[in-house]
Amino acid sequence: MTKPIIEVQNLAKSFGKNAVLKDITEQVDPGQVIVVIGPSGGGKSTFLRCLNLLETPTSGHVAFNGEDLTTLDTKRVNELREEMGMVFQSFNLFPNMTVLENIKLAPMKVKGLSDAQATQRAHELLQQVNLDDHADAFPTSLSGGQAQRVAIARALAMDPKVMLFDEPTSALDPEMVGEVLNVMQELANQGMTMVVVTHEMGFAKSVADRIWFMADGFIQENSTPADFFAHPKTERAQDFLSKILL
Amino acid sequence: MPKKLLISIVFILTLLTGWGGSTHFTTANAATDNSLTKIQKKGTLVMGTSPDYPPYEFQATVHGKTKIVGMDVAVGQKIAKDLGVKLKVKSMSFDSLLVALQTGKVDMVISGMNPTPARKKNVDFTHLYYQGGYSIVINKSDKGIYQDKDSFTGKTLGAQTGSTMYTESKKQTSNTKVKGMTSVSDLILALQNHKIAGVAMEKPSAQAYVANNKQLAMIPSHFNLSADDTVAAVAFKKGSTALVNKVNHSVDQIKNQDLVNKTYLPAAGKYLKTNTVNTSMWHYWKAFLTGVEYTLIITVCATFFGFILGVILSLARMLQGNPLKTAIRWLATAYVEFIRGTPMMVQVMFVYFGLGLIVNLPALTSGIIAIALNSGAYVAEYIRGGINSVDAGQTEAARSLGMSSGATMRYVILPQAIKNIWPSLGNEFITLIKDSSIVSIIGVSELIFQSNIVRSDTYRGVAPIAVIMVLYFIMTFTASRILNHFERKMQHD
Ligand SMILES: Nc1ncnc2c1ncn2[C@@H]1O[C@H](COP(=O)(O)OP(=O)(O)O)[C@@H](O)[C@H]1O
Ligand SMILES: [Mg+2]
Repeated sequence: MTKPIIEVQNLAKSFGKNAVLKDITEQVDPGQVIVVIGPSGGGKSTFLRCLNLLETPTSGHVAFNGEDLTTLDTKRVNELREEMGMVFQSFNLFPNMTVLENIKLAPMKVKGLSDAQATQRAHELLQQVNLDDHADAFPTSLSGGQAQRVAIARALAMDPKVMLFDEPTSALDPEMVGEVLNVMQELANQGMTMVVVTHEMGFAKSVADRIWFMADGFIQENSTPADFFAHPKTERAQDFLSKILL
Repeated sequence: MPKKLLISIVFILTLLTGWGGSTHFTTANAATDNSLTKIQKKGTLVMGTSPDYPPYEFQATVHGKTKIVGMDVAVGQKIAKDLGVKLKVKSMSFDSLLVALQTGKVDMVISGMNPTPARKKNVDFTHLYYQGGYSIVINKSDKGIYQDKDSFTGKTLGAQTGSTMYTESKKQTSNTKVKGMTSVSDLILALQNHKIAGVAMEKPSAQAYVANNKQLAMIPSHFNLSADDTVAAVAFKKGSTALVNKVNHSVDQIKNQDLVNKTYLPAAGKYLKTNTVNTSMWHYWKAFLTGVEYTLIITVCATFFGFILGVILSLARMLQGNPLKTAIRWLATAYVEFIRGTPMMVQVMFVYFGLGLIVNLPALTSGIIAIALNSGAYVAEYIRGGINSVDAGQTEAARSLGMSSGATMRYVILPQAIKNIWPSLGNEFITLIKDSSIVSIIGVSELIFQSNIVRSDTYRGVAPIAVIMVLYFIMTFTASRILNHFERKMQHD
């Protein structure tokens, strides 16, 4: 049995009186692609942000490679964040830097790469996401699909072991969704461990190893895509699927 | 008013620092009077004076260089020579002189000062070096209307604020309004504009003004004065008995040989002549240039250090977490509130006179420090606003890449925040060009200070003001053009 790369134990998170995550215990194995789906406001983003401690859990544990993030000091948490790339719904590219600079910043400032090394690596990644001709463009001049691919390249530049995606295509015009999903699919094919929050059911069916259905602060179901879409066990999931598959 | 303010500030400082106080003075008197040896060891004697009172002391342009001259400077030179030390003359407003003496900014004050009982309480005076009298300067066209102080019923008489003349004019006239101004040249200007009917001043000064301005005339004052009121003496810090005794030898010589009337006054008169031959503003371009230089030095340095302080303060104000961080945040907030809630003028005086008790800072340095401390508080608020206006997603993206909070701030947030705060920083810079004029009160030769000197040198009241107005405008206009250029450039990328 392989050792899990992410282990979540009795994770709970409240904002004031609002208990968003109630009690979550799950694990992610290396190379797995997890797709998290569920109704809006169900705590998916909060859950993802707890995985790299952008959000501090109220209780419970989140371990990466056996290290419990909730017990580590800031410095070590920063180091472990390098291992978990994150892609946001709203891209969050640095608007004052070119595409190339966006990608080079963290490798140079955090990993201490030389300018030449970082530049070379950035170009490789831009080729991977088909955007090398936009290296010197500023983010504002990019389409949503291009911006999100740059964001993925930027996260990959830290050579993470895991990639977290929070609704990466929700802010895109429909015709651009495909180009981003293709990049993600390729990543999955290369063996990247991924946790993806998405409403793209096609992607979930074809790429996911496991589907986690999340609602009301719990992971209600954890099953294979085939099982989940054919035989949703909980009423909550049946209800959800009937709404989106119509 | 400024004088009262200064006195209260000194009083508070004295209490705060435990410096001075009567106990200290008595001990100094009795046991440890090293005043004389201290000066001799130092090798220089710093004389404080307010050089807008010709022929006592005034600025003259000698071989293209401005320097302070006058009979008081000659007295100071004799004293220094007799002590075997070098004389250094420091100029400041008359109101600041005694404070400067008490806080050790200067070693002695010679500025046509009368040893009044009130002053004697705070400083030690030498014997008298000069005994003059008082006159009233009027417009020549009014000659015949006014005979002496009693002719000004229903009229306004002017006198230098803080001077003996001011108090006596109030006491010894009835139904006459007494108007006080800091500088005699302002009073003369007011006289020529018929805002006031006469200016009471010491006779030698009156003579100088009348000799240099054909529209003026002088009449005797007929003030009823005790001997003490019409005389001038040298002031030293309280408890400098040894030094005063020594200097009294020089002063007695001056008095006995009538050096003031025989040598010093004629010499001063010569300066006055060369000084007023050419009163065109062009002739004083060097004085104005110095003013512009200092104004720019102060503004640029204060903006630079103010910005650094502002960054630190704004970051401190965003600290959260453990009690130490909370305490720092609280302190930074308190500092910002305090600075924004007190006048810059008071801060400038506090730094110069107050901090001066601990470290002896030159006026220019004090001015820059005070303005930077002030500006930092405002800049901190601009920066905080700029940082808060950067989208939270930027921080999340940077942190998710493994960047520390410090690196995130430095490489991601601040560069974007700067863009937002640049316009306010530019405004702050332009404001400082104008507000730096406040350090003229501690004698820094920035533009306002220089214009006052030119005014008292040329006896022309308006022209120098017009010149500096134009100069200020040129500076602020140029600065705003340059800043706009950078702003546009930044908006491009
Ligand atoms: N920083 C926050 N402060 C307070 N409430 C929050 C915060 N972030 C999320 N929430 C609340 O948590 C709940 C779950 O939000 P989220 O995790 O974004 O759900 P999802 O991503 O599934 O739509 C929502 O009710 C939201 O209002
Ligand atoms: Mg969400």
